[in-house]
Amino acid sequence: MPEINICNSAERDAVVNMESVSQPLRVRWIDSKSRQASSVRVLKSTLAHDYESLKAEFGEDIGQSIIDGDPEVNMELVGTVLQATSRVFVDKEQKLVHRIQQFELVLDPDGNQTERRPKQVVPQNVSNELPLRWTGKFIDKDEAVRKFVFVNKMQLTHINGLTYDFLYGMAKELHEKKSMMLLGGGPKSNQPLILRRGSNPFRGFLEGRIDGDRYCLVLHLSNLELKVPEEKKEETEA
Amino acid sequence: MPRSLEFEFGKEKLEFVMHKVDRSKLYGMKVLQVLDDNDDACELSTLAEDGKTLIGKGGTGIGFVDADGNWTDKSSLTAVDLEGKELTPVPSSFASPIPLKQRTTTEDYLDHNIRLIYRLEASTQPAELLKELNEGAIYKFPYSFRGGLEADVGFMLTNEAQEIFFLVGDSTGVEFVGLQQVAPVLASEEGIEDDDFMDFGMI
Repeated sequence: MPEINICNSAERDAVVNMESVSQPLRVRWIDSKSRQASSVRVLKSTLAHDYESLKAEFGEDIGQSIIDGDPEVNMELVGTVLQATSRVFVDKEQKLVHRIQQFELVLDPDGNQTERRPKQVVPQNVSNELPLRWTGKFIDKDEAVRKFVFVNKMQLTHINGLTYDFLYGMAKELHEKKSMMLLGGGPKSNQPLILRRGSNPFRGFLEGRIDGDRYCLVLHLSNLELKVPEEKKEETEA
Repeated sequence: MPRSLEFEFGKEKLEFVMHKVDRSKLYGMKVLQVLDDNDDACELSTLAEDGKTLIGKGGTGIGFVDADGNWTDKSSLTAVDLEGKELTPVPSSFASPIPLKQRTTTEDYLDHNIRLIYRLEASTQPAELLKELNEGAIYKFPYSFRGGLEADVGFMLTNEAQEIFFLVGDSTGVEFVGLQQVAPVLASEEGIEDDDFMDFGMI
């Protein structure tokens, strides 16, 4: 289970659990005996039997060749259940490439390239020796939902009695303020949060609620503001 | 061409043009370029578990198997929710006006992961609705683009610039947690004798 190293308002830090709250499976399929059916990934066609390969082999006669001999179907492999597959890169001749170089092309909103740089895999920054600090930068909840789009969230939960008190206290403080607190990584707590090595960075907002002796401490993640792109604004004004 | 979505607000019918908003339109985007040793572009592909079969885009499909692992036709299966209740298909939200009746709380909105954002543009300013939204109202309604087994959750709210947005979200499993600490494994305190603590024979 992922962990987060976080400080409370008294600058005390603790490592606690961070759980995903996404609910991926909402529809199940059952057969006539109410037994659950499951989906499997099957092979339909291989690279050696796709249009590009067949065109290279048969040229202009590709249509007639398909009618005559079904070269687009691999009778041995079609319908094979796929389980442990790997993601690989192939070159323009559709041969496996063993050594690759990866670059990031940075494009502006109009699609123009502004930068090209080697791809960097950034380490995670939420569960390091340096805890995420209590920034004290609060934003009213009602204001926050009109400013930012929260695309993902993680729930913080305790791992023992001590961390229950620790997290309950944080949730209570935020609940009473009716606010979310900005949470950032790095020494100055101003860097975006990176939950897993190489994953997308997000701005973090910590929300707390309490109900009796139960609490709910949620880290909301946002990577965009709730606003209209400049170009659209200009169009509307015109 | 952007599509229009119709809402029913009180006795009014309001039509909005939907403009999709995403990160790339606001801030740009990053594209991954993968090159081989000759600086030629490479494409992502799938390698089957035999270690030699390469599968390109569109080279895989989804099939269904029953509890015994036998192939089964999807049309013979029934879609149910997590509790096992049969799902009734929902129509597309473009088929008829969406009633704007249910106002929701900020906390309920926050319990959803937002995955689609649209700016709504009205041909005539919906004064009454805009007034409510600017005062902090958030409307919640079921939404389905094509129609299907279940509807997504749609929200309508305004941003700081008083522009109307329609957001599509997925509900999450955010819940309150209590202490629920596991009790130490002791049958009863009566069973512990003071002598036990000094019994080195137990070691």
